Amino acid sequence: MVKIQVVLFLMGLLLVAVNPVHGADEHHHHHHQMPGMSMDDTGMVMGNNKSTLPDDCKEITGEYEINVQAGTSYTKSYMSTMFGYSEHEWRVEPCSRITVNFKNEDDVRHQWMLHGLPKYLYDRGMFHMEASGGHAQTGVFIVPSDNKTYLVHCDIAQHMEKGMKAQLIVGSGSGDLWSIPGVSADFERPSGIVFKNPVFVVLLVGLVFMVVFVLGFRFFRI
Amino acid sequence: MSRLLRVLLLLILVLAFVVLLPWQWYPREWRVWYADNFGASGFRQQAETIPATVSENVEEACPPDIRGWRKSQSIAGVDIAASPNCLADNPHAVAAFVKGTNNVGHMTLMDARLSPDAVVKGRDLDGDGDPDEIHIRLEVFELNGASPDLDVPVTQYSIAPGVTPGLWVFAPKSAGMSTENFESLLAQPGLRLPSPAIRVEQGDKVIVTLENTHYMPHTIHFHGVDHPFMTANGGGNDGVPVASEKPVMPGKQRSYEMQPRQTGTMFYHCHVEVQAHVLMGLNGLFVVEENRPNNWVQTFNIGDGFVRHSSVAVKEKYDREYDLHYLDLDKELGEKIQQSNDPRIVTQLINRDYNISQADFEYYTLNGRSFPYTARDSLIVTAPDELVKLRVVNGGSEGVALHTHGHKVTITHYDGVEHPKPSRITRDVVWIASAQRVDLELSTENDGLHSYGEGVWLLHDHQERGVTTNGFGPGGNVSAIVYERYLQDDGWPMTFGMSWNNYLTSGFYQRQDDGSGVTPLLPGVEKSGPSVLRLVILTALAGLFVGLVAGWLWRVRPRG
Repeated sequence: MVKIQVVLFLMGLLLVAVNPVHGADEHHHHHHQMPGMSMDDTGMVMGNNKSTLPDDCKEITGEYEINVQAGTSYTKSYMSTMFGYSEHEWRVEPCSRITVNFKNEDDVRHQWMLHGLPKYLYDRGMFHMEASGGHAQTGVFIVPSDNKTYLVHCDIAQHMEKGMKAQLIVGSGSGDLWSIPGVSADFERPSGIVFKNPVFVVLLVGLVFMVVFVLGFRFFRI
Repeated sequence: MSRLLRVLLLLILVLAFVVLLPWQWYPREWRVWYADNFGASGFRQQAETIPATVSENVEEACPPDIRGWRKSQSIAGVDIAASPNCLADNPHAVAAFVKGTNNVGHMTLMDARLSPDAVVKGRDLDGDGDPDEIHIRLEVFELNGASPDLDVPVTQYSIAPGVTPGLWVFAPKSAGMSTENFESLLAQPGLRLPSPAIRVEQGDKVIVTLENTHYMPHTIHFHGVDHPFMTANGGGNDGVPVASEKPVMPGKQRSYEMQPRQTGTMFYHCHVEVQAHVLMGLNGLFVVEENRPNNWVQTFNIGDGFVRHSSVAVKEKYDREYDLHYLDLDKELGEKIQQSNDPRIVTQLINRDYNISQADFEYYTLNGRSFPYTARDSLIVTAPDELVKLRVVNGGSEGVALHTHGHKVTITHYDGVEHPKPSRITRDVVWIASAQRVDLELSTENDGLHSYGEGVWLLHDHQERGVTTNGFGPGGNVSAIVYERYLQDDGWPMTFGMSWNNYLTSGFYQRQDDGSGVTPLLPGVEKSGPSVLRLVILTALAGLFVGLVAGWLWRVRPRG
């Protein structure tokens, strides 16, 4: 396992080094912005962090590489979604370094945004990748030591709501998030006609109760 | 109990019943006879008055301009006029729209929240000092849509305090989040109703790419703009699913091409299921400006209203220019997208369940807002002896009878075509049919005809439902022509009438299930209690009466 991770890490490093957005000419793209930020025609990466450890980590304890694709074609398994990721859940160990290779297979923008990271290290607690249609982005970030489930999503209007929602579980996590395709239910919207209409439920329950009551009454009387 | 006592008791009961029975329940003739013989009944005090409530949580009329967007400034070499209104357009975005997002710095793009390829301006083909190759990228955004996890609309945009109808809009291709920030549910300022006015120069080689970021299929039809039916390589170019091309599916894109030979104020809109898509907000102004040297036009005017960087030809004749976009919205249509989070169900609700022939329209907007929000960014600010150009479009399905208080305006163009000068009409109510455009010349010369002098003069649809929101007034598309002398420093008009506080509370435009207003802002009457008590006593008496009669009958004929 460790071997695989090391290999993946090396591959990730290679990718990071080759990718012009994060490579040698990184400063060409962002002369004035906060560190870890890059932006061009193919999209942007914010909160890129290859080496700064969170305060509660003594060392990087794990190396992971996430290869994730985004697009309308990843919704087939989940009826009622329109946009999706190739995977909607990832598990890593605390204090891990994670390289994300994000490939957008649609012709419109998509994002892979992770929220809830420490704000002293990541601007607004966010690691954010945006890829223009048909483009890929690569970014690296390091998670802190606590067991926590992080929200990953695309913040273009209605993309998260219609399926582009995932979770990154660090350690044992802090419970599943709601409405992750293939993982968890919707918090607010029950499915099916019956449960949407409380009057219908009360009537149905009342009818069943009465039928059983009458049947039982007759049965015991005879 | 003796027989006499029982009969007496029954009589007393009957008498009490007769007295307590409401007066109006007796036949009119009996009452007339009674009054003729015994006179009128005594005076009865009416129920107490509930005093008018002082509304709580009044919104700030004019939010402070902390980012300094209102002042006149120069960004990336583009001169941007001061914005007189309270809420100004983002000047960084204006600069990027004038120069092209490919010709401004990274910082300007970040502040504008635009993608580097949102407006790409290329070569100067006629050598007159401005770019003539324009590539525009539009995305589609849903405002006030559904969420699987929240019972409030997401990517929120309020047309009036507390009014958040479901909307779809075109917007220039942006970068980053659709919300203000991760903690906020509010749409970022670049995403709003109406779909923005687009400006190009006559003869420009224009490509408009629709990047469909929405979960429903869409197209763009360029209404009134000179464009070929097919693109150079044989693709559909008219945007009509039943005639020229298949719709652009979610996650896909298509480019439309045109080189407009004629100038004028035109229109663009989605042509998929038009009875719903157009009225959801997918329509906007498309202006072809006259060709002039060094004419860098402001490709987008977000939210319409004041044009901060007018074209050369407009500046030659006019002191200021405003884009006015009127739209009526059906509350029930907007609710369709909030009823389900499943795109298949939303498709059914929009395409098969919604019946526009049975529709009524609750919201009337000017530049995507209803009164009092119109006063934040859609006042026509002017000064004496000016000429102001108004480009007006009716994007809605009902007509607009646009009335200008204190002024008579002159119609210079119908549907982008200039009206010959001798036959131009000057009037104070201008009818604008659906999809129609009129260019109006507002003169502020105080001659008793064009203007009656300085002031805060209302500007509104004179079909009275147009000045309501959800049936409550004042609301709807009410705005005003305000002279600078009557404008406060923050851009809010000086008014001398009633307080606007009630209109700036979220409850004012809400209705309860029974149709009445949610907030008791006006004086009311306490619901009178005695009549209910009286009915209860009557019922009790009737029960006692029946019981006694039954008991008596029981006694007379006992069983066995």
